[in-house]
Amino acid sequence: MTAVTTARGASPRFDSSLSSSLDRLSLAVALRDEWLGHAFSTLPADRPAAEAAVTGLYRLAGAPPPRFVWIPSPAAAPPALQAGQPAFARPRLRAAEAPARRDGWPVPSRLASLQSALRTRLDRRIRRPAHLWRGQRPPWYHAAHTMAAEEGLHEGYALRDILWTAVHDPLAATLLDGPRPAIRTALLPSDGTEPLGLTFHGQHDAHWIGHYDILARTGLAGYPAADARQLALWAGLARSAGWWWPGDGVCVVAERPAEVHTEPLPGARHGERRLHHPDRPAVRWSDGAEVHALHGTAVPRWAVTDPTVARIHREPNVEVRRCAIERIGWDTYIEEAGLHLLAKAPDPGNAGSHLHLYHVPRRVWGTPGRVLLVVNGSVEPDGRRRRYGLSVPADIDDPVAAAGWSYGLSGPQYARLARRT
Amino acid sequence: MKTHTTTPAAVTLADLTARTGLDVLAHLEREVTIPVVAGLQAQGDLIVVPLALLDGVTVPRHARWAAVPAGGVELLRGAAGGNPHSLVADPGTCRWSRRVNDPQRLALGVLDAAAVAYLIHPEHGGTGIAPGTYVIRRQRERSESTGRFGNRFIAD
Repeated sequence: MTAVTTARGASPRFDSSLSSSLDRLSLAVALRDEWLGHAFSTLPADRPAAEAAVTGLYRLAGAPPPRFVWIPSPAAAPPALQAGQPAFARPRLRAAEAPARRDGWPVPSRLASLQSALRTRLDRRIRRPAHLWRGQRPPWYHAAHTMAAEEGLHEGYALRDILWTAVHDPLAATLLDGPRPAIRTALLPSDGTEPLGLTFHGQHDAHWIGHYDILARTGLAGYPAADARQLALWAGLARSAGWWWPGDGVCVVAERPAEVHTEPLPGARHGERRLHHPDRPAVRWSDGAEVHALHGTAVPRWAVTDPTVARIHREPNVEVRRCAIERIGWDTYIEEAGLHLLAKAPDPGNAGSHLHLYHVPRRVWGTPGRVLLVVNGSVEPDGRRRRYGLSVPADIDDPVAAAGWSYGLSGPQYARLARRT
Repeated sequence: MKTHTTTPAAVTLADLTARTGLDVLAHLEREVTIPVVAGLQAQGDLIVVPLALLDGVTVPRHARWAAVPAGGVELLRGAAGGNPHSLVADPGTCRWSRRVNDPQRLALGVLDAAAVAYLIHPEHGGTGIAPGTYVIRRQRERSESTGRFGNRFIAD
């Protein structure tokens, strides 16, 4: 196994004193958390570092150093790109019209191509668990996601497989399902027209950059010197700035947010986080741009500040709807929405409580459904029992069968529930 | 209950928190004896199902079992990252494996208890599991939008 060591601080380097798999695993986990820290950093951008990295990437793409335009948030990108025209031409090239030589392409296309080629080469240097190439999810993969990384190693899983679940997957899950789509949806135009330029994600590219970086620094992959140097440029950007939009001769770069609020993903064993704040924007920039998110679901501001039944019924997105219903409470929602009670049954194992199954007509959510209203088995600190709604398949008519379904059991099986706490 | 059990017949939440170092919220009644259940029981978003009750759920022959230590095994954490469900037992009386084949893909693992084992949770308190072999599953709900199986897991 070879590892690249270069004189550049940001380049991956392999500490040869690492011997045991456990040591490598601990280092990899620490580095993963460090990369998650970069992804959620709220420090002002390190402008000299970011500009040096972008300039280096332009050079690799065969373009002269650009002029830099710094903007306070991604929300400021559309006007900045419009003002910079024609530097930010549509990056999509039709095969029939594309210049044959790459140096005839627009800069964003060249950078995208540079990045894509780098990732293809690095992918050949890292050894992805074989079955994942075939799109399979063997039982251990499911298990490995539910146990701590060290536990997985003790269980006899290969370090390479453990690192895939402890480094690659959590970084990808945190970034690709988290800030990237939430920020794009909230702040960038979504009217179907092609946005100007091509967005690069800076700190929110930490998942792929961090993964390659960590494999090299733990001695599990070695890259050719030129690739290591290019990776260091992408890494430098991810450590120093927010999103950016390259153009011919000019590059627009956004500051990082001033505030980011996250919580661990439920059941997460590998540091996965998601955006969440119960009554403030989950992400806020210095210019007032903001993104609201509840338990990882990007929501419009009203869902956090002023959820009402009328707004919930106008909302086409089921996840947003569910978040908003939880804000006003299932009891209140069911009453105000006038949902029709289909059936009621004593909750097995939860003496004195009942299961209520409601019909949700198509006109309410756009698709017919059922909601099972259940009562917690234990009391809250205020002495009450929390009620919550579970969405269940529309073909279930029996409350006990619906409760059973939620645990993968039949109605008669669930009816044998002896106790609920 | 088997005769070789080392667990006292009447265990309270106070006993359990003292023995394991795990804590529960202050409003839960600590001095009441924790019931021990031999059948199906639920604790929030988890359910404990006797293995024999489940068709098609199997434990692979090569499954690695781990002894449940005095401090317990953390089964699942809650939505805010805290509030774990923990499995606790007297040392040497309970083993646990995450390797279980569940066609519904809801199983977190399987436990095999020779004496009473307990589930403890900061908000739900404690519950006793009679000796036997059980599968622990998590709860799901239907989701129209995302998810590999069109369903999502519940996290309380």
